[in-house]
Amino acid sequence: MLEQEQALLSQVTSAFPVKGKVMRNRRVEVWAESTTVSSILMYVKNQMGYQHLNHITCIDRIEDTKFQLVYTVFSHQTKMTLFVKTFIDRNAPVMDNIDHIWDQANTYERELREMYGIQFPGLVGAQEFILEDWDEMPPMRRDFKTEEYSEKTFSSLPGRENTQDVRETISTRSGEEIPDFAKKYSRD
Amino acid sequence: MVREKETTLYIGPQHPGITGNMMVKVKVQGDTVTKAEVHVGYLHRAFEKLIERRNWLQSFTILCRFCVPEPDPMELTYARAVEELEGREVPERAKYIRVMVMELARLQSFMLWYAGQSGSAGLYTLGQWSVGDRNYLLDLFEDLTGGRIYHMYIWPGGVRRDLPVGFKDKALRTMDYIEKRLDEYDKLLFDNVIFQKRAQGVGIVPADKAIEWGVVGAPLRGCGIKADVRIDEPYEVYDRLKFEVPTAFGGDVWARAQVRRQEARQSISIIRQVLEQMPEGEVYNKIPNPMKWKVPAGEAWAKTESVRGEVGFYVVSDGSEFPRRVHVKGAAFTNGVTVTEKILVGQNIADISFILNSMGVCPPEIER
Repeated sequence: MLEQEQALLSQVTSAFPVKGKVMRNRRVEVWAESTTVSSILMYVKNQMGYQHLNHITCIDRIEDTKFQLVYTVFSHQTKMTLFVKTFIDRNAPVMDNIDHIWDQANTYERELREMYGIQFPGLVGAQEFILEDWDEMPPMRRDFKTEEYSEKTFSSLPGRENTQDVRETISTRSGEEIPDFAKKYSRD
Repeated sequence: MVREKETTLYIGPQHPGITGNMMVKVKVQGDTVTKAEVHVGYLHRAFEKLIERRNWLQSFTILCRFCVPEPDPMELTYARAVEELEGREVPERAKYIRVMVMELARLQSFMLWYAGQSGSAGLYTLGQWSVGDRNYLLDLFEDLTGGRIYHMYIWPGGVRRDLPVGFKDKALRTMDYIEKRLDEYDKLLFDNVIFQKRAQGVGIVPADKAIEWGVVGAPLRGCGIKADVRIDEPYEVYDRLKFEVPTAFGGDVWARAQVRRQEARQSISIIRQVLEQMPEGEVYNKIPNPMKWKVPAGEAWAKTESVRGEVGFYVVSDGSEFPRRVHVKGAAFTNGVTVTEKILVGQNIADISFILNSMGVCPPEIER
């Protein structure tokens, strides 16, 4: 039972100082030090045929002050999925950039940089990915206060109060008068 | 020789020929693209963050909105990940119904693709036909789930309710109709010399790079690589059904169109098989009170095949009533960003939205 999975696990554990387990059929996970992750990924891609990078994701383990990173790779030959997991320090999150192994890792890393504040030294493409002009705490962190941010940013903006006529705000700002035909529809 | 000046063009962000808002910033010389950059962020709705604030069942109102043209794979993938975490069994009948829903979703999504692909080549008649015919499929969804676009029908433990009375006959009649219409579509699109000339040799994904680039779905099969989650890692009852996974060669828009053309017929065949083979019985292995429902701690990765390709959910539970983390990897995340940026180089400006359509780019799925 699960011979292929065991073989995959032992191949990775014999090549690198990692611990791992067979999760179920077609699913194997290994836990590695953050510094060895890129070597493992390079090895499984080039030597073992795990050429398809399914995704990279992050889980905020705020209780342990750590980020858990998960790299998921898949082999079209064996049809098995390998998870390479690691922890990095949450207070100074830095991780090896792997966009030289897979180009598409660039997109995931840019997203993780914005959403969790993880730095990937040497990451190509310094421009923003999803968030524009964001200077708050990275929003996917567990301690980001969604409601507080929303109240602060959106509720108190001039022109957005419930009772205010937006046309009046515009006319005050621009110094233009509201034309007569529009006035008759005003709330007063 | 006159050197042409390089100009920057912004394609989008208002619906650049595809469903959703996304901008492709291209540098052009003459009308040839020399560099392409995909810019997203116009549809970011923080869905993954919102899901962390909802209980396991409330997430379904968000899940279906990850990709408007094809919401059902999201529901199924999430449900399967939660079932894996909990070890919850799904009744046999529900598995068949799920497959039927998935294939109906594929079929209606193919109809939208027909419209988008032909529309971006300037052939508008087919789009009117296919979107009109898609309504018959949406009627089936309405009968089955109560909703036309968003269904929230597939839940952990099965599906919400059984098939309504007369559904099977209506579905079979609809399949007969759609099958006949697909022949008509072929005449309008694939026999059309405009489409043939526009699609062949355009937007080529090199076969030797496709896997490494992370290409999934029809664009990968268009490179001659037989890869489909339904056969690579069969879920529900796909391993009991007879169907082909079509492939084509060339890696261009034409090859991808050929793959989808045949896949639509395969979907019809699967729906017929499922309706015939479906056993009687329960459809829902009831979950506890949703407001107090705790899913055991753990991590699960589930993936399904959508029209655009592999959709994967990485779901993490800390044993509470709320998901700790749900990461969604849609097919467009790679197909629509890095791959598109590469294959657009050297193409004509007029072919940009044509290529985006053939890659199945769905912006809401990229930024979530």
